[in-house]
Amino acid sequence: MNKESSYDTWFRLDNSGKIFPEVSNHRETNVFRVAVSLTEKIDQDLLQLAVDAILSRYPMFKVKLKKGLFWSYFDYNSKPFHVEELKHYVCGEINPKKNNGYLFRVMYRNNDIIIEMFHSLADGAGVIMLLKAITFEYLVLAGKDIKPDNLVPTKNQRPSMEEYEDANSKFYDRKNRKHIPEQRAYRIKGTPLAEDLTGLISGNMSTSAMISLARENGLTMTEYFTALMMYTIYVTQIQYRGHIKSNQAPVKIFVPVNLRKHFPSNTLRNFSNFVKSNMVMTEDDITFEELKALVKEQFEKGMTKSELIRKMSENVAFEKNVFLRFTPYVLKKYALKIGYNMLGMKLNTMSLTNIGKVDFPESMEPYVVDVTAAVYAGKYNTLNCSIISFKDRLKVTFTRSIVETTIEREFFRHFTNLGFDITIESNYVEEY
Amino acid sequence: MKYCDKCKISIDTNNNYCPLCQQILEGDQKKELSEKYPEYVSVNRKIYPITKKVIMFVTIVSIIILLIINLATFNGRWWSLIPIGSTFYFWVLISVGVFSRQNIAFKLAFLTSLLIGLLILIDEATLKEGWSYNYIMPLLLFTCNLAISGIILIKRIDYRDYILYLLTIVILSLVPIILLFVNIISEPWPAIMAFALAVSILFFIIFFFPKSIKDEIKKRFHA
Repeated sequence: MNKESSYDTWFRLDNSGKIFPEVSNHRETNVFRVAVSLTEKIDQDLLQLAVDAILSRYPMFKVKLKKGLFWSYFDYNSKPFHVEELKHYVCGEINPKKNNGYLFRVMYRNNDIIIEMFHSLADGAGVIMLLKAITFEYLVLAGKDIKPDNLVPTKNQRPSMEEYEDANSKFYDRKNRKHIPEQRAYRIKGTPLAEDLTGLISGNMSTSAMISLARENGLTMTEYFTALMMYTIYVTQIQYRGHIKSNQAPVKIFVPVNLRKHFPSNTLRNFSNFVKSNMVMTEDDITFEELKALVKEQFEKGMTKSELIRKMSENVAFEKNVFLRFTPYVLKKYALKIGYNMLGMKLNTMSLTNIGKVDFPESMEPYVVDVTAAVYAGKYNTLNCSIISFKDRLKVTFTRSIVETTIEREFFRHFTNLGFDITIESNYVEEY
Repeated sequence: MKYCDKCKISIDTNNNYCPLCQQILEGDQKKELSEKYPEYVSVNRKIYPITKKVIMFVTIVSIIILLIINLATFNGRWWSLIPIGSTFYFWVLISVGVFSRQNIAFKLAFLTSLLIGLLILIDEATLKEGWSYNYIMPLLLFTCNLAISGIILIKRIDYRDYILYLLTIVILSLVPIILLFVNIISEPWPAIMAFALAVSILFFIIFFFPKSIKDEIKKRFHA
């Protein structure tokens, strides 16, 4: 028998999740999206049934955010969850009051199932599990003969406590938690889009071609993309303009690292950290080759175990602080906001998320066309990039809060000049 | 599939320009296709913000006028607190009581406490007769206790969300009886009534819902 989630269920927010409720608003939504395209049109009723079944399997998503005296927490949400049709917003603010208290959305359009989630609840790896589970359940309800093959958690499995753990504090090391102050990063300039709209452009290319291109250069795919991104930003925004003050800030690409691949944990909640590439690009003759070497070196340094633990502990340290812990929540949220301004968004030029390969069971693969990932674009990170792949379909999605598409254009032209076939998808936000 | 020969990319769309370079796309779409991403639909502005603005403006002007008249004819009493406090309470009542989506137990507990505070202020600012301590405070707390526990009994489904607010009011109900002992209150029966109900509710919760109250406290006070 499954243990049904009930009124007894409640969860502490995990370490990274604690910060997001305080620093999110309609501009910095901290929402990200994953989507899957199937081969046939999505039926709303079936999707609703699938989501209901999965929600009782995943009690940690069936929650609402509530405030306690010292910390906010996730409490069991007894209200029904509704799937909805996709609106034009890309990673728009999730207002729990309009969403029955839920911190995520499940939407559908034509052949696509789309999940948008508030970052407090889970990170990319967690939401991919949810997407796989919902897709699996949907296809089962649609009468397909598919097997989970241990790749997809199904509704019949029991939830394990391991899925809810706050893995960040498990690896906390109080001797290795030094805070290293950082400089503000260069900010991509452009004309803001009206009304908090977000532009979305994704390009599909071949995964195997991309992997062999990165290997030829002695890099991983993420390193190659990061170096190319820095180069594109340099060429389109900074080159020959190094004398302008705002261009002298370092360009920093924030690349989330899925810590489940580096440390033993199966949590569905936030368990990711980051590496950053960092360079002041005022000189007029920076080459792509130079950047590739730089990114490789900086990533290798940033990915060592002790550096990852340091970054984790730096974050966990604030919630272990006795004074902060026993400060009432109403005051604490200001402390969190200040802390976030020191460690947060202004320190990155853009974020480049590589979710990686999504594996579906073999019996499911014929029904899946492709997957998409996207993150919000806000006031400080005006352009963000997320990469996800399914079989030989690699999808690079740019989301932007500015009108200009020069960086995307140069980025994709780099690949077409190398002979790649690229198919573009766009939400044509400039038409609005 | 349409094609942009400048960017050398292909795209499936009804639009006829390239999203990257804005150039005209080559090739034809045979039939109208459903775009992958929906088009922008503008949200109709609601009418009520303008109504809200008008009422807000009228409120502020009347508060200023009341203060001026009170000061111009000042006789040692701040009588303008009565209309100003009432207008203020009206605003809170509308925004918290009617429009906010907080749960009803919170609304009741919050509005009751605020009303008690306001009436004590008015009592103090005018004749200092003590009616606010003697009658208003205990009787309002009594009513609020009765209302919240009534709602919990009828609407069992969400009682866990309500129980903490009920507990707050129960604890507040002990204040009149303390005031009675220190002789601030002269009329005993309302205070005793409020106390009796509060204590009965407290024991009811402890006897019948011990786990929920323990859980709720654990949730709310975890550090």
